[in-house]
Amino acid sequence: MRRLRANSSGQLLIIAALVIALLISSTTTYIYELTKETDTSKTRAINDFILALKQNTKNAIISSLANVSNGGAKITLKSNLNKLSEVFRSLRHSGTCSQFFMVHNDSNYDSGTWLSWNTSGLGVSSAYANFTLTVYGITAKIDMPYAVNVTTTITINGSYSVVSGDEKQVTLICRTFNEAQPALWKNVTVFYESGGNWVQVNSTNNLSIVNYGNGTYSASFTITLASDTVGVSTCILDSRDIFVRANITCHAV
Amino acid sequence: MRRENAGQIRVLEAFFAVLVVFSAFTVTTSFTVSPNNAKREDLASIGLQALLKLDSDGSLGNYVSGGNWSLLRDVLDEVLPIGVCFNLTVYDDQMQQVNNAIVANGGLNNQEIAFVEYACASRNPVFNCYTIHMWLAVAS
Repeated sequence: MRRLRANSSGQLLIIAALVIALLISSTTTYIYELTKETDTSKTRAINDFILALKQNTKNAIISSLANVSNGGAKITLKSNLNKLSEVFRSLRHSGTCSQFFMVHNDSNYDSGTWLSWNTSGLGVSSAYANFTLTVYGITAKIDMPYAVNVTTTITINGSYSVVSGDEKQVTLICRTFNEAQPALWKNVTVFYESGGNWVQVNSTNNLSIVNYGNGTYSASFTITLASDTVGVSTCILDSRDIFVRANITCHAV
Repeated sequence: MRRENAGQIRVLEAFFAVLVVFSAFTVTTSFTVSPNNAKREDLASIGLQALLKLDSDGSLGNYVSGGNWSLLRDVLDEVLPIGVCFNLTVYDDQMQQVNNAIVANGGLNNQEIAFVEYACASRNPVFNCYTIHMWLAVAS
């Protein structure tokens, strides 16, 4: 018995070594699971990084549209996006990234912007560009094509009722949208047409504006005008400083 | 013959046993990840999320463009979880420091400091683009 134990002590040693190796392997599996968790956090980090870049691209387009709609040059969009791309290229911590863009051009958009303020009852200020974002991370290379469209739209419906003689009460319903979602405005200016000139409506016209909180506003004011129709122009500055104007011809109810 | 070689076989067996254990260690080491790295990545993610949250409505760009450093510090202090210290530096597109006041809520004396780099574009009609460097640590 003793001889058998002595003879097989080498094999026992190997079995013990295999058991230890098994324990180490199970530890390895556990550590591997932890590594996978870390990979998830790395993926999350790169996703957040890309989200941040896209967010800032949208900010740059909002800034450009605010500039152009307030009288800036149309080239502003391209110039701002070039500046943004340079800043993106200088980022190093989460890998290197580069962004190429192409401003949208078609029958509506010119150099990526579209200002349509003459349509009856509808005003649109919009900027649109296509991008290709490339991020060379430590773990992956990501190519992401995407588009950003920033649009502020205003719609107006209106009519007037005769108070007495030439005195008329004009009532307008205005709806504002940011990217087709109801939105609030920061400032509004209303004009009416008198003898070919635009006259600003103010407190002397008993201007009252009701905000329904869902992007819908009603405005009413009184004017003295001999004409059968009343031309009204509404200029708004939305919460992002984007300017948009809409004109309408009001008729008697 | 067997008895004469028994010693050598034992040595071989012992050597094989050591080899098995050693290879298991080697494989394990290759998969090992420093838990400090994971913690640092989580902290960096928290910092990036905080900046993203502030930037979602353009507030971050407004604070930076307006030079409202104390307000930025207070807002970040509210957005970040309690016990997270930060120190933030803002650079313009020429990498010149913009903030003339310290934007921090405490000293970063912890060994595990996470770093976040963030590009911030303002929404103002006059366009500005900044690079934000933020260091974060868990308060000790």
